[in-house]
Amino acid sequence: MPEAAAPAAERRARLEAGILDAHARGDLAVLARLYAEAGEHEHAAARTDAACFFWTQAWIFALDQGDLTLARDLEDRLGAAGRMPPPA
Amino acid sequence: MGGRTASSGGSGSFGDALSRAAAPIERARGLPNACYADPAMFEREKARVFATTWTCIASGRAVPAPGDALPVDHLGIPLLLLRDKAGALRVFHNVCSHRGMVLVSEPTRCRSVIRCPYHSWCYNLDGSLKATPHVGGPGHNAHPALDRRQLGLKPVRSAVWLDLVFVDLSGTAPDFEDHVRPLRARWHDFADRDLHHPGPIGSFTLDVRCNWKLAVENYCESYHLPWVHPGLNSYSRLEDHYTIVEPGAFSGQGTRIYNPLLGQSGRRFPSFPDLPEVWDQAAEYIALYPNVLLGAHKDHLYTIRLEPRAADRTLEHVEIYFATPEALEQRYQPMRDALNQTWREVFEEDVFVVEGMQTGRTSPAFDGGVFSPAMEAATHGFHRWVAERLAGPDLALIG
Repeated sequence: MPEAAAPAAERRARLEAGILDAHARGDLAVLARLYAEAGEHEHAAARTDAACFFWTQAWIFALDQGDLTLARDLEDRLGAAGRMPPPA
Repeated sequence: MGGRTASSGGSGSFGDALSRAAAPIERARGLPNACYADPAMFEREKARVFATTWTCIASGRAVPAPGDALPVDHLGIPLLLLRDKAGALRVFHNVCSHRGMVLVSEPTRCRSVIRCPYHSWCYNLDGSLKATPHVGGPGHNAHPALDRRQLGLKPVRSAVWLDLVFVDLSGTAPDFEDHVRPLRARWHDFADRDLHHPGPIGSFTLDVRCNWKLAVENYCESYHLPWVHPGLNSYSRLEDHYTIVEPGAFSGQGTRIYNPLLGQSGRRFPSFPDLPEVWDQAAEYIALYPNVLLGAHKDHLYTIRLEPRAADRTLEHVEIYFATPEALEQRYQPMRDALNQTWREVFEEDVFVVEGMQTGRTSPAFDGGVFSPAMEAATHGFHRWVAERLAGPDLALIG
């Protein structure tokens, strides 16, 4: 494994473990935060599709939890990527 | 099982039975046994009696705060009561517009949306569609084939009165205000009052093995009081009662002497402010068709929502409300306990009667019975209303 890839792989593994654990515990607030972080990770690597998948997951859990600040931020990110419906 | 059924009788024999139930009381016969014991008739009632008028499905106090959501099984149809952000109560069909998944399966408090547990489609508290995650592919949250404006929750026509939530499943019943106008007029002294619920001590439910109509019929008339509720005679005698009939809307009974003691202290609950003198010792007990039983007194009001669970099973949900917030103070707790106990005993005294009548409706020797023209006009008024609704527009009833 190239040296630069190691921290990224570790970070991804940590996020996956955290997400699985939060799913198991039904902790939707943590899920919103971790999925948003995963989206940032993919976005930084220019993997837009993967980023938007994670941001969508985060958006839904943020809405469910009433974290409207995070939800609106994610809507903006998804909208900028052309992944949101047009305004009504 | 005795009696005619909807399927076997056709419009002839069963129609004749309905006509007899709707005849003038001196010639009338009660609704036939099938109306109480036949599951097929219960299904017919769902369509013709409940779905086409304003039916009570819950108490508003079940969803006290914005975001509170309560699933309700209304005669087999999943509904959702929802208190929106502004505090208004809304009723929707409790199914996702996507694949028909039931949205809410237990009482919950939604923080900002209702999220379907299947594909996480989310709805705002006003029922509009908020989010369709991945619907256009992973990370794509829209698709041009789906018109989001058409995919919100399906609303159910609803209204709230006396903290009772009513729905009109058909969407074609007369306006709710028209539905309750006769009773609102009769009870204008109570109709728009603030009501004060004491919490758990003001609520109880009876699970009764009888058809819902028997609970209404028994509630309407005072004829049985001295035999079934001898304790009531100590403060409310039969000769002090009168009959109430509003054709097509409600029926019941009233008493000119209502003055129970709820303890040795002689203390009374505070009355509704500025109540006319006539209510100082009067009380009225009215069945608002089809499934609400009400009791109005100078110091408290109770509601009983009848929840038909089967042809031969009914839940009676009792809620007691006080006239003033003072009645909720600690010093009145023993009296609140006593009032709860009093009504619980009275209603439980009726259980053997309605369950006995349910059993009697399996007898081939009985098929409707008769009414006392002097004492049971209220019960007959209810039979007539049910008969007319079961008959539908295609059957001319004897007037």
